[in-house]
Amino acid sequence: MTQQATETHCPYCSLQCGMKVLRRGRTGIETAAWEEFGVNEGALCRKGWTAGELRGSRERLTTPMVRDRATGELRAAEWDEALDLIAARLRALQADHGDDAVAVFGGGGLTNEKAYQLGKFARVALRTSQIDYNGRWCMSSAASAGNQAFGIDRGLPFPLADVERTDVLVLVGSNLAETMPPAARHLDRLRERGGKVVVIDPRRTATAERADQFLQPVPGTDLALALGVLHLLDARGAVDEAYITARTTGFDAVRRDAAAWWPERVERASGVGGEELRALADLLGDTAGQGGRVMVLTARGAEQHAQGTATVLGWINVALALGMPGRESAGYGCLTGQGNGQGGREHGQKADQLPGYRMIDDPAARAHVAGVWGVDADSLPGKGPSAYELLDALGTSDADGDGPKAMLVFGSNIVVSAPRATHVTARLEALDLLVVADIVMSETAALADVVLPITQWAEESGTTTNLEGRVILRRQAVAPPSGVCSDLDVIAGLAARLGSPIPFSTDPEEIFAELGRASAGGKADYSGISYQRIAAEQGVFWPCPAVPDGETPHPGTPRMFADSFATPDGRARFLVPEFAGAAEQPDADYPVHLTTGRVLGQYQSGAQTRRIRSLPDEGAFVEMHPMLADRIGAHDGEPVVVRTRRGEMKAPARVVATIRPDTIFVPFHWVGVNRLTNDALDPASRMPEFKVCAAEILV
Amino acid sequence: MTESPHAAPRRRLVVVGSGMAASRLVEELVARGAHATHATHAITVLGDEPVAPYNRILLSAVLEGTHRPEALTLRTPEWYDAHGITLHLGARVLGVDPGRRDVMLVDGTLIDYDVLVLATGAIPALPPIRGLVRMDGSLHPAVHAFRSLAECEHLLAAIADTDAAGHPVNRRAVVVGGGLLGLQVARALGTRGLDTEIVEGAEHLLHRQVDTAAGRILARDLKKLDVAVYTGARAVRIEDAGDRVALRLDNGFTLDTDLVVLTAGGRPSTALARGAGLEVRRGIVVDDRLTTSDPHIHAIGDCVQHEGRVTGFVPPAWEQAGVLADVLTGEPTTYDGSRVVARLRATDLDVAVLGDASAEIEAGGELVEVANPIAGSHRRLVVREGRIVAATLVGDLSRVGLITQHFDRGTVLGPTEPGSLLMPERTTTAGSATRALPDDAEVCACAGVSAARIRSCSSFEEVRDTTRATTGCGGCTSAVRELLAARALSPYVSTAKGN
Repeated sequence: MTQQATETHCPYCSLQCGMKVLRRGRTGIETAAWEEFGVNEGALCRKGWTAGELRGSRERLTTPMVRDRATGELRAAEWDEALDLIAARLRALQADHGDDAVAVFGGGGLTNEKAYQLGKFARVALRTSQIDYNGRWCMSSAASAGNQAFGIDRGLPFPLADVERTDVLVLVGSNLAETMPPAARHLDRLRERGGKVVVIDPRRTATAERADQFLQPVPGTDLALALGVLHLLDARGAVDEAYITARTTGFDAVRRDAAAWWPERVERASGVGGEELRALADLLGDTAGQGGRVMVLTARGAEQHAQGTATVLGWINVALALGMPGRESAGYGCLTGQGNGQGGREHGQKADQLPGYRMIDDPAARAHVAGVWGVDADSLPGKGPSAYELLDALGTSDADGDGPKAMLVFGSNIVVSAPRATHVTARLEALDLLVVADIVMSETAALADVVLPITQWAEESGTTTNLEGRVILRRQAVAPPSGVCSDLDVIAGLAARLGSPIPFSTDPEEIFAELGRASAGGKADYSGISYQRIAAEQGVFWPCPAVPDGETPHPGTPRMFADSFATPDGRARFLVPEFAGAAEQPDADYPVHLTTGRVLGQYQSGAQTRRIRSLPDEGAFVEMHPMLADRIGAHDGEPVVVRTRRGEMKAPARVVATIRPDTIFVPFHWVGVNRLTNDALDPASRMPEFKVCAAEILV
Repeated sequence: MTESPHAAPRRRLVVVGSGMAASRLVEELVARGAHATHATHAITVLGDEPVAPYNRILLSAVLEGTHRPEALTLRTPEWYDAHGITLHLGARVLGVDPGRRDVMLVDGTLIDYDVLVLATGAIPALPPIRGLVRMDGSLHPAVHAFRSLAECEHLLAAIADTDAAGHPVNRRAVVVGGGLLGLQVARALGTRGLDTEIVEGAEHLLHRQVDTAAGRILARDLKKLDVAVYTGARAVRIEDAGDRVALRLDNGFTLDTDLVVLTAGGRPSTALARGAGLEVRRGIVVDDRLTTSDPHIHAIGDCVQHEGRVTGFVPPAWEQAGVLADVLTGEPTTYDGSRVVARLRATDLDVAVLGDASAEIEAGGELVEVANPIAGSHRRLVVREGRIVAATLVGDLSRVGLITQHFDRGTVLGPTEPGSLLMPERTTTAGSATRALPDDAEVCACAGVSAARIRSCSSFEEVRDTTRATTGCGGCTSAVRELLAARALSPYVSTAKGN
């Protein structure tokens, strides 16, 4: 029996695959292929195929819970009771300790409408500067590098399908065949066309299996490789001098810096043989020399470092030196991670930003946004601390003042996803009030004083912005279970109770229209986008400014930089990245590199995917090379202990020849490895160094 | 250069030399903010070469043609200017007066210093060959030294020289000295089309770094690349012989050649230090703070001797530059020697030398080696207390990156690990093994589908619709088709659908 199918998008990664949601039985839902949607053409990975299984699961939260002071246990509560209690506690804490006593923590999985409302709620209803989100731990290094080099941050400045038409694709620290499998189809089509794929990763991943060239550096040394490639390109005269002169500034300093990165120096720093580096430079130089196109894409492997911004800048320099950014099917891009990793960073849940990718310390931006909101610009707080710094200060009290005493968490499972998680968990426990809104009892919700049950993707409408900067619409397919509200309801309910000077809508489409007005004139301008246009055009690429009535609507911007970059002078910037390597180097006590990442069957902190029975949940494992396993006496499948200066964990060994012998890998979807990771931060993006630290491993 | 009237008196730092060590020191000081107008030092750099500091170790790459000469420039004069640093190029220092604390240039200019850094590098050794140096002190016109960019360009010009008919004037070359530089230069000249020969006084090539067997392999590699090798032979005399010159060896051979290139190593340039009365042995003697016998004078790079050792490689010079920058900016850092990794930079010649193998063997290191003279590879690791303390890799550089990591980090390895490092890497070949996949093998990772489930389907469409295999990344499509085809061929499986 055919039922009405709702065209929507997957709840997980930034590929935001188009899918159909069908109703099954009285309450169930099932996902099906939406062949017509161009980004994934009906393909889905097992996470997408099984996304409907949380619906009706006993694991879903369907009633607010409040921690009973007498027993310390969570007990069921009515919505009004829960929201009244939260509002009263927040008011009291702010009265005693100031507005910044309350913090807000958002997520890169929230829809644009939620991210926008959350930022507005923090600045207007709570008047707090203390808001940031888990996207800081996702692609913030690429964002900061993109802003510095191109004057704008859109993950891919071109449609993903352009990948198929480039000639050489260089993937730096991306395992897209496992993290966003349908995207790997583009690699296969590229290779069928005769194009080449280069993968740079400490592990020979499923993506690397599709590569024509594979380079396996020491974690944290991708920048040294970029400097070495640039060195060799300049040595052979393969840089595009005409492009550099016409479209960029700053090359000379970068070129001189690269002169000191000859292949054997790079080899010593990165562990990648000089000949492999030469082969890569030859491939890039030959391709560009014959008029071919080169595309460099980075992902978390290159970005989640204390040198993440510098690493991305190093690879942007390679793309610029070859004259690629702005050419069709060429240039630089970042493969964003979270479902709304792109949109989530544009509309004001970031510590330093207002909607439309405006900066909160820019008086004109404050005036514009305050005007849309109907508040006084002076009432808006200033810039707050970044995600990790915010968490690090929770419940603290020292000479510099007090850290926040209460925090509201939306769409984030901090206990699993924060670095140095034991410390962060202790900070959460030091709060006077922790409120978590989630669909399930995540590890973070389990610590909360109040837990609010919220709708999941198929039960609500809202837009996301995929990795291409394409604004798309997730449509509600089913009614939420009774007792469950949207984040938007929570925000509006709390705003009203807190005496917000302005009302907060709960209607996504209405909020989207307001978001459009707030973003108008900003870098990420959504003002010309509507739900109708998204539906009619398979999404709309920002920037898409509104035009006066009667004029032809702006078509959106699938491809950026063709004529100019978003810098004041229209030129891209070459910036000198200084290579320093990982913040924590192996030593006698902690002799191996520990890197972290993902597996195909799980998503992020696993709060959703670990609760879906059709997905394999074998728990964390410690991947290591047979040489290392022999050294420590480990056997495949048997438990090993991994220890760093910050914590330890135990998990079974997985002995594979595909990883560097001086490196171990642990996926981060389970409580464990982030207790071990390093909280060293990138100076520009404030990204923690998830991807490398020094570890000890023993049986 | 701007001087702030409000700044406290700054220490005048004069750096003699503008090579790799000197320019790195200046960069390290800039990184520490020591150059800025209100900061601690007024820096003057005196370089005797007329060109901006460049990457000297890539000269053989320029000779070979893999690097453009312009790509070697490390910092431009504009960079020095922009950072408020005075750079004098073509400024040869005549002498240092430690009493007055000044240096005098050959043109008589006096430059006062509070702190002096000698980074004078090395000068090429001139082997005792009669006729090499002419009466006026210049080299025989067919003879080329190879240490500076000017000398490299001079040699390139000689190679490019043509006669009236457009034929190259110089077709044959003899390289005197079979060390790392000699091999690189010989290979470069060979690549440029010259008939090239190497003369090495020791019994085998690269005798300071590798043993006889490895040296022999190198000689054979070179022969394959059309470079002839004479070992255990010294050039003793050079004479004009018609259009060419004749280079007489002490074994009785005479090599007719157009060009002679000297790559017989270098020695620390210590003349200024000696003249200033500093303690000099093989090099300028420095302590752990890179200070000479005069507390106002430091020295770094190829010109120094630390703990009895002179290095001649860039990484130690750069480490010294980093330490000295700390010393000059008041940090308590000390220099305690360097791990040396020497790599040959020449196409089709694979050599890596880590540490000092013979010294480490003497110190009790155990040898783990794999040699295959037939395939032309010779690799040895010297292991002490589980750590790789030295290594020589010739003819096969697989895992050189990993071995270098273990060496640099002092990783304690397991007993079988050094041996495993020298074994070929295990390669996984999938190929058409698909048909033999066990039933529980995962064929489609995206949907989590085993070979058995695919074998239970009768058509590709059935696989797609019932198992969702092939619907993710699409990478298993061919494996699925192959499994289905094998199923069709199998006598045990009915190809007709039962129900």
